[in-house]
Amino acid sequence: MRRSDDARSQMLHAIRENLAKSASSDAAQHAPPCGRSVPPTPNPLDMVARFTEQLAAVGAQWTVVRGATEAAHALARILTSAGARRVVGSDAPLVQRLVSGLGDGFVRESLDGLSRDGLFACDAGVTTAQWGIAETGTLVLESARENNRLLSLVPPIHVALLSTSCICDSLGDALARVSRASHAITLITGPSRTSDIELTLVVGVHGPQAVHVLLLEEEP
Amino acid sequence: MTFDRNARAALADGQLRDALRQATTLFGERRRAALATAPDWEGARDRARAIKDETLLHLDRYLEEFSANAERAGARVHWARDAAEACEVIGRIAEQRGARTVVKSKSMASEEIHLNAALTARGIEPVETDLGEYIVQLAGETPSHIVVPAIHKTKRQIAALFAERLGIEPSDDVATLTAVARQALRRRFAEADLGVSGVNFAVAETGTILILENEGNARLTTSLPRTHVALMGIEKVIPRFADLEVFLQLLPRSGTGQALTAYQSLLTGAKRRPEDEGPAELHIVLLDNGRSRLLASPVTRQTLACIRCGACLNACPVYRQIGGHAYGSVYPGPIGAVLTPQLFGLGRSPELPYASSLCGACRDVCPVKIDIPALLLHLRAEVVATRAGKQRVLERLAFSGYAAVMARPRLFEWVVRATRMLKVVPPLGAWTKGRDLRPLAPRSFRDQWRAGLSGKAP
Repeated sequence: MRRSDDARSQMLHAIRENLAKSASSDAAQHAPPCGRSVPPTPNPLDMVARFTEQLAAVGAQWTVVRGATEAAHALARILTSAGARRVVGSDAPLVQRLVSGLGDGFVRESLDGLSRDGLFACDAGVTTAQWGIAETGTLVLESARENNRLLSLVPPIHVALLSTSCICDSLGDALARVSRASHAITLITGPSRTSDIELTLVVGVHGPQAVHVLLLEEEP
Repeated sequence: MTFDRNARAALADGQLRDALRQATTLFGERRRAALATAPDWEGARDRARAIKDETLLHLDRYLEEFSANAERAGARVHWARDAAEACEVIGRIAEQRGARTVVKSKSMASEEIHLNAALTARGIEPVETDLGEYIVQLAGETPSHIVVPAIHKTKRQIAALFAERLGIEPSDDVATLTAVARQALRRRFAEADLGVSGVNFAVAETGTILILENEGNARLTTSLPRTHVALMGIEKVIPRFADLEVFLQLLPRSGTGQALTAYQSLLTGAKRRPEDEGPAELHIVLLDNGRSRLLASPVTRQTLACIRCGACLNACPVYRQIGGHAYGSVYPGPIGAVLTPQLFGLGRSPELPYASSLCGACRDVCPVKIDIPALLLHLRAEVVATRAGKQRVLERLAFSGYAAVMARPRLFEWVVRATRMLKVVPPLGAWTKGRDLRPLAPRSFRDQWRAGLSGKAP
């Protein structure tokens, strides 16, 4: 502890001393403008269209559904066509409801008490996303809402449920709306990717190979 | 002269130069395409630089604010004056938790302090998990590019390496090789007791650290092991959460030409409740290691505004020919040529400020507008000031002679005529070693001018 306290005060001292050497030449400094850019005029009408266009550009897939029944059918269809059998859902109530409704063709794992090896053996993880970003096709996941960190990362397929009313215009909008109560906020733009070998793009290196967004439209 | 020797070796390596040309050209093109998708690129550059300038000018205050807020959120903040102290802090954390294996995601700062060697010396195995870094580590080499560390290796070489070290059938298929690495590293992630990551930005207002990546290995490193240690240079701090927007517009576009990389992890403290996911402990190590010295003047201070995007490497005509290894430092390219001598001493690498043609391409692409050519000149002046007596006198003499000739038209003409007649060019030493001097034109420009250039085709 003492060592670290010494280091701390010495580092702060070194910083102040060096800054003092140049103080006179910097008298004209002003406080900086905020890093937030001027917001473009959002166009709520085509927010979903812009979002899905960007999803396609980053190699993610999507399905638009209305209501819980349609969502359940769509989820089963997505998982089947991706060849997923072993499925694990987050602790969000909507996810629980949808996953528990999956038919006998699936093995439903519960995140509670799932071992690391068990998690590594899952084919698909299902979570919610709190926000979408139309500008970049990005999903925003907050840890305070559900346990979504590993399910959106470890299995080769990630299915994310997102309400169309939660699509933000830009990154700046999303950062302004995100709940800072989360100890982990994860921004996800498309599947995991690398170009480390001869600049050849390979999708699905450490994270999911496939990201599928299930877009829930509000019931009229 | 290590740099000269390294550069010569790199120039003789045709395969390396092909790979470099491909990579730097591709990233340059992607960057240009990505700029078009930014709402206000020039405005973003100016804002980002102003934020960095303001932060650096009050770095003590912002670091204290960051530290207090990170600790309030449950992180433990450590202060490390130099590389040895940072290695000691991290080594001790690992030892106290009985760690045998440490998984690492890409961190330039950890390379800077030679953390892997320090952990190995304690009997702890560090495992690089970024695919490029993993390849480089398996081969016992060092990264040659900030963004694509293994750019100097062909897939055939990587296949042979994996066959030898991982016992697989050799394959030339990049997807297969990547899948092999995924499987091998999953086992290492499962057994790791501790994860070490770098930090791209640290927010003073909230105590949040942000880590960018494409592969997902940084997410695994920061969420699977029980303990997460994040290592950051003191210059990574920015004032407000909202400031992240402008830096996230600049960094991925400049680095890989993406509007956003696949993942951004914004981590604030450790997990709050037992049922939460993620590490039980988050340690943040603040590293000085020569950085605070750079605060002393506005010229050197701007070096600390760097966000490590690598755009200046791809744009640099010198780097494009010789690659990263020639710079003999963790930090290659134009930014490395100014950062390395300033952090680790000019005496260790006096050639680096000269590893540039001063063309200014680095300054043009820099997302935070660091005037790298000005820094190179500043460092060259320091090199000259420390030169030994005889060499210095000769150089002074040569330049004052040059100045005298250039300032006197008659003398100039006389010298040019003499040169032309005797067909001797004043000794240019090192300059002509690597370059051919163009033959002199039969008539000088001034003679032609006097004879009347106007209207006549050459």
